[in-house]
Amino acid sequence: MIHAQALTKRYGAKTAVDDIDFTVKPGQVTGFLGPNGAGKSTTMRMIVGLDRPTHGGVTVNGKNYAEHRAPLREVGALLDAKAIHTGRSAYNHLLAMGATHGIGKARVNEVIGLTGLESVAGKRVGGFSLGMGQRLGIAAALLGDPATLILDEPVNGLDPEGVMWVRRLARQLAGEGRTVFLSSHLMSEMALTADHLIVLGRGRVIADAPVADILSGSTRTAVRLRSPRAEQLAQLLQGPQVSITTTEQDLLTITGLSAETIGDAAAGAGIPLHELTPVGASLEEAYMDLTQDDVEYHAGTTTTEGALR
Amino acid sequence: MSAATAVYTTPNASGLSAAGIVRSEWIKLRSVRSTIWAFAIVIVTSVGIALLMSTTAYFGEEAIPADLQTSIVAQASTFGVYFGQLVMAVLGVLVISGEYGTGMIRSTLTAVPRRIPALLAKAVVLFASSLLVGLVSVLASYLVAAPILGNLGITAEVDGVFIGNLLLASLYLALTSVFALGVGTALRSSAGGIAAALGIVLLLPTIVSAIAGFTGAQWAADISPYLFSNAGSGMYTGGEFEQWQFALIVVAWTAASLVLGAVLLKRRDA
Repeated sequence: MIHAQALTKRYGAKTAVDDIDFTVKPGQVTGFLGPNGAGKSTTMRMIVGLDRPTHGGVTVNGKNYAEHRAPLREVGALLDAKAIHTGRSAYNHLLAMGATHGIGKARVNEVIGLTGLESVAGKRVGGFSLGMGQRLGIAAALLGDPATLILDEPVNGLDPEGVMWVRRLARQLAGEGRTVFLSSHLMSEMALTADHLIVLGRGRVIADAPVADILSGSTRTAVRLRSPRAEQLAQLLQGPQVSITTTEQDLLTITGLSAETIGDAAAGAGIPLHELTPVGASLEEAYMDLTQDDVEYHAGTTTTEGALR
Repeated sequence: MSAATAVYTTPNASGLSAAGIVRSEWIKLRSVRSTIWAFAIVIVTSVGIALLMSTTAYFGEEAIPADLQTSIVAQASTFGVYFGQLVMAVLGVLVISGEYGTGMIRSTLTAVPRRIPALLAKAVVLFASSLLVGLVSVLASYLVAAPILGNLGITAEVDGVFIGNLLLASLYLALTSVFALGVGTALRSSAGGIAAALGIVLLLPTIVSAIAGFTGAQWAADISPYLFSNAGSGMYTGGEFEQWQFALIVVAWTAASLVLGAVLLKRRDA
């Protein structure tokens, strides 16, 4: 259980996290979404006391992280796969981390096995790929067999098999009644892994709801159609509630009208249709809806209307 | 995707302990190459310098007084400390700056969120291992130099004072590494930390003595024995003050640097 109250972090004049409240509950996977610079990593760092909040606070299982008798047994955190000395072997890294809490070789070997690092455990971490670094970070997070796991971009750099593994692991840990809080920039990943979403934009919580609610709340139910006379059809369909975008010459994406209405209108005007597809809102689109005004760094000229969808 | 009925609770197993944190820092210190290299260099250069000094010594035909003989042997045994202090200063900085450089510090402070115990454990482990390495290098240097000088008719009177000086030389090496640890903690970077630590250990006495020499400024001559490395060599060779007073000066420098490091470590975001 993670509980943030009026949590605020300012760096000089810049507010990274702006007076946010949220609760991450045990027994489910909670996803933490937001564009770059939204404050996700800062929030996660404040949970484990690496950054000090400017105002407010955050507790884990009722206490500040630093006040726990055995912090690594309360919270396992993967905040940065590169938070490891490159000159040390994976085995010695885990042994040193565990030693602080009296966690010995047996558990170290267990988490090495759990994360599939047996063959590289004796090698120096400097030569690790990003994926192996992530596995080692997850191994370190699991060392204390903690009730709460905080994973910042855990699938970053993993191969498809690794991604599947993290997904299963997160679900399994939540299934055991643990609190699992993970951030990812991959919305599709969240749709498959998370039960609940907290969406952050410019340091504020813009949504805090079950994944299903966020999906159904999206306004983006669109219809895609292809026609040799697309331009003519677009003029015919125009209306106050209707938005039409063109990404290719023959292709229209229409929101505000149902597929039936469009098909009937085309038939009535004798315009042939080569494709007519209702496109359900994906989590990605729902997310874009939520964060559109909150993206801190717009991607310059390449972000056209079409690309945003 | 149904919520589990049972809430997982943390088993009531072992938690943070001072012994555990010290053990962790010991594993960290012994498992990187820079430590092994630094300690090996301290011992090898100290023995090498002792060998060089004793084999090239020439004292003429006249008889040498007994206390001068003892001091020659002591000097041959501890001369390596001048070089060893530089290596210990670099190692002391690297022990913490290496963690900032690689990001390891975030893992360390996640495991020990109160932070100060982690720094103290580093200091304890560094002090103990540097002291041991200092003792080994000074003792090995003595064992190499004594028989060679003995052939030249120069023998030390191995009494409490002689042994005490060898111990104090080792103690100075150990304090140097801990002093540098504080500097590295305050500056957080290997380049900056090493520059600052070596600046204080190596450069500051030279600059102050140059000022005293060129300008004849009395204040420069007055502060000279209080400088870190001047007080350090005073610990085992004596000088303006008693040896224990020199030791106190070095301890004060070390404590000040460690307190500065601790305050900044506690206050700053990691």
